Amino acid sequence: MSAPITASMSDEHVWTLVFDQPDTSANVFNDATLDCLAEQLDVVTGDSQAAGIVFKSAKPSIFIAGADLKALSEVESEDALRELIGKGQAIFTRIAKLEIPTLAAIHGACLGGGYELCLACDIRIASDDGATRIGLPETALGILPAWGGCTRLPRLIGLPGALDVILGGKRLTATSALRRGMVDEVVPREHLDRAAAKAMQKGAPPRKSHFWVNNFLSAAFIAATAQRQSRAKTRGHYPAIPRAIEVAVQGLRRSEADSLKLELEAVVDLSATATCRRLMEIFFLQERAKRLRSSESLVLEPIGDIAVIGAGVMGAGIAQWVSARKHRVILRDIDPEQVMNGLRRISGIYKDAVKRHIFDKVTARQGMDRISPVSEDVPLQQVDLVIEAAAESLNVKQKIFLGLSERSRSDTILATNTSALSIDEIAESVEHPERVVGLHFFNPVHRMQLVEVVEGHRTSPEVVWRTVKFVQSIGRLPVLVKDRPGFLVNRILMPYLVEAGHLFESGASCENLDSGMLEFGMPMGPLRLIDEVGVDVALHVGEYLASCFPDHMQVPAVLTEMIQAGQLGRKAGMGFYIHARGKSPTVNDALDSLRKNRAAAKEGRKELAERMVFLMINEAARCLEEAVVEDPRDIDFAMIMGTGFAPFRGGPLRHADTVGIARVVDGLRNLAEENPRFAPCGLLEEMAIAGREFYKKENP
Amino acid sequence: MSTERLVIVDGVRTPFARMGTQLAALGADELGRMAVSALLTKTGIDPAIIDEVIMGCVGQPVDAANVSRVIALRAGIPPHVPAITVSRNCASGMESLTQAHEKLVAGRGSVFVVGGAESMSQYPLVYKFATAVKFAALNKAKTLPQKLAAMAAFRPADFSPRIGLLLGLTDPTNGLGMGQTAEIITRENGITREMQDAFAVESHQRALAGREKLAEEITTVYVPPDHKRCMSEDNGPRTDQSMEVLAKLRPVFDRRTGTVTAGNSSQLTDGAVALLVMGEKRAEALGLTPLGVLSGYAYAGCDPARMGLGPIHAMARAESLCGLGVSDAELIEINEAFAGQVLAVMKLAESAGYAKTHLDRDRAIGTIHHDILNVNGGSVALGHPVGATGARLILTALKELQRRQQKRALVSLCVGGGQGAAIWVEAMS
Repeated sequence: MSAPITASMSDEHVWTLVFDQPDTSANVFNDATLDCLAEQLDVVTGDSQAAGIVFKSAKPSIFIAGADLKALSEVESEDALRELIGKGQAIFTRIAKLEIPTLAAIHGACLGGGYELCLACDIRIASDDGATRIGLPETALGILPAWGGCTRLPRLIGLPGALDVILGGKRLTATSALRRGMVDEVVPREHLDRAAAKAMQKGAPPRKSHFWVNNFLSAAFIAATAQRQSRAKTRGHYPAIPRAIEVAVQGLRRSEADSLKLELEAVVDLSATATCRRLMEIFFLQERAKRLRSSESLVLEPIGDIAVIGAGVMGAGIAQWVSARKHRVILRDIDPEQVMNGLRRISGIYKDAVKRHIFDKVTARQGMDRISPVSEDVPLQQVDLVIEAAAESLNVKQKIFLGLSERSRSDTILATNTSALSIDEIAESVEHPERVVGLHFFNPVHRMQLVEVVEGHRTSPEVVWRTVKFVQSIGRLPVLVKDRPGFLVNRILMPYLVEAGHLFESGASCENLDSGMLEFGMPMGPLRLIDEVGVDVALHVGEYLASCFPDHMQVPAVLTEMIQAGQLGRKAGMGFYIHARGKSPTVNDALDSLRKNRAAAKEGRKELAERMVFLMINEAARCLEEAVVEDPRDIDFAMIMGTGFAPFRGGPLRHADTVGIARVVDGLRNLAEENPRFAPCGLLEEMAIAGREFYKKENP
Repeated sequence: MSTERLVIVDGVRTPFARMGTQLAALGADELGRMAVSALLTKTGIDPAIIDEVIMGCVGQPVDAANVSRVIALRAGIPPHVPAITVSRNCASGMESLTQAHEKLVAGRGSVFVVGGAESMSQYPLVYKFATAVKFAALNKAKTLPQKLAAMAAFRPADFSPRIGLLLGLTDPTNGLGMGQTAEIITRENGITREMQDAFAVESHQRALAGREKLAEEITTVYVPPDHKRCMSEDNGPRTDQSMEVLAKLRPVFDRRTGTVTAGNSSQLTDGAVALLVMGEKRAEALGLTPLGVLSGYAYAGCDPARMGLGPIHAMARAESLCGLGVSDAELIEINEAFAGQVLAVMKLAESAGYAKTHLDRDRAIGTIHHDILNVNGGSVALGHPVGATGARLILTALKELQRRQQKRALVSLCVGGGQGAAIWVEAMS
């Protein structure tokens, strides 16, 4: 096997160390890479005439992706972890202390340990290629940069900038990294070598002192502010954040060597937390979704042109997203007014993205140009995929699909963005029903990474997997689900929202309900979420699911009464909350009259939250029972990515394991005495009796 | 040389908007993109099979050189398809079609997107050359005294720009504005103010009556960047146009004794047209049912000071080339650059004398009956985005032939600089 790093020397004795891990598209740091790096450094330092070192990668789109997370998550003991982290720190420190100039020539993903290597160098030059992404994403995995990231970045760019990079976990473009001072120069990829050679001659640019922010007083103030802000945001659920702030700030007051020791202790502590394990799992689940493939070998043609039927919130969101990914899109709605509203939404999203430096103006306009708006039927011969996002009515959808099947090629995929209706029923009127598939995006499309790909009974494997591949190609994460009411995410989410409505009716306050869930770790409380979704939409989906599962789902009257009063949620300015422009929502006290009793008025936040969470667990278990998906990981992944279910808890089923299945079953049984809809499902009962869990037991 | 015929498969245009109104903020490239993009969507054609994009434009945007290429790329036509912008002044939109035909018979491609795009709202204001020289000097100045000296060279007059639109509408060879050439031919041929105004009123009435028919060729424009407005019909036709209203307008080009007013001239307009054209056999192979076929055409030159008479010269030349004369036409479109100019054409078309002295033929061109001329209104009502109009006339004529189930239409226009264009199209049977 060839070495992961090769060294070569120029006539001027400038050494180039090229990272090129064999048999993989990525370079990562593990024990073997670190050893190899040490050996190559020995070679260079053995050359008395050595004039400098350039680090680069031979991979087309990756510099160094960071530490080998697989290896990191499988480290067997605390000592082994200490050794691994210590080894990396020692080698990077050795690089930092070399007398000869060192330079990182960055092209491709340069993350975590990869960037920490760059930080140990004297000079950093990056390519302006789109593949170049620079950042320290460790805190998103529940740990922190411990190969010098928390020590060297604040010294290089100042504490506030460094905290932003470390706590945000963002993957920055080269120009953004340049603006922040994280790299010294950005050049076209083809000129990277030349720029490196030139920079080696010139030496490192002078560094700013950052005294005014990095001194003891300022640093303490900045730290306190950062701690306060992060506490408000994470409610203390993510220990890596406060710890990273602490290490970065205290590290500034110590020597580099001592600061590195702080990093080491912190990463050892954090690695032992359940939060870290959950966040690592989510990372692996995302990677799994990106690589989801059919087990059979199918020939899957890529998708070219797309038509989106319906220019409402979802249709416009989908059209925007795919147009930005270079697909030409026909955007169809019933009249110019609707089409115009859709276009306005789309240009709004693009404008916002330009403001956030996600696109430049030209790229945004190119995206807009790809959208062809129509308010009448047009031929769909050029279209490979139609995504219907019209009104949620079976009748309407069947009619639309009949027309689509007549105007499109027989191999055009006809997808519906329905959030609950049956794919099989929609496919009924269609010629070649094997091409009908569910493609359920979440709102807002440009923010939500999850897409449910729904397989109807007649959907062909080619269509399913071609759709999955398409979802991956537009940078979204697919979860493959069966055609059951509500599919996966809404199926599990609705009982929770509906229960919040029931509890509200029985006297529970908005504050208690929503804060309880926020403290649990949800990104938004259930009543707020109903307001955001729209009370009418929530009722519509809720009633549909209740009609499918009458034994365990009933919709509370309060939603209907709110609709009658015109309190449709945020879009109407009034729902459970009063929504005023530019102000944070306040509780809508007028709804008090809609309460039926005061039974739940005295229940604490914790009890309320537990009840709602248990209902989600129960429904999630039912999904497994009914084989909506086969793997509990799919459920947990989908709920985290689709609803923001507390990531550090690892999803509803992982959370059930943590709480104990028996306790969940007990809790549900108790509630069932009050109303049979709470009764635990068969699977949970069985598991409680057999003492089984959804996941394999972890080593404590 | 191939003898294959060129068919017009289908066409789409933006609504025509008076200069300075709804579409004023859109450049010719944006207007053209919208028309071409809508054409691709409406026909469902695979853009990769297009051999060339040929668009007419008279005042190309300074920030979109070879505007046809910009339009093609922005409309989603793949980069391997070349594009050329053509200009024959007011006949540019027609030129795009006839060039496609010439390429077809020369064996240089069989599928073309043609048409024209013009934003008269966005014709630039330009500095005089002498002013530009002063700016260049200022730019070169390095030291403060040099800069001050360079600045001192400017005079107030330097800052009043020349209006691109006026320059474009003036014949540089004889210094005459287009309106002045219209004054010449109306007075020489006894076309009165009343005749012109009556013709103009009729144009508006026909355009209003034809709204629904015209809607068939129009694609709704959603106005970027805010998309708060959309436009589905031409805004030129006026419901309140009458002889009384028109009588109040003062002549523009000859203030004291002239007869040509803003009301009986074509309107300055923004708009774009796109046509999908191809060899007849190719259309058959693709299973398309074209609107019609190009059966003959000619361009001819005439006295630039009487450029409005161009159609007569072009019709004569077309007749000698393809054997079709005015009496063969069941429908005629003559661009209404000026109402008086069309009336002069109608008059001289019947004159054997003019034919003899100017056209070298012994018969008159023939009678142009007003009841089959510009039946859905003309540029006096609809507007005249110069680079696009030629293609609009062809599209309007073909759609009308189809509705009337008639066969042949003659489409003609006069061209600034002293030319005429005449095209014969036939509906597919």
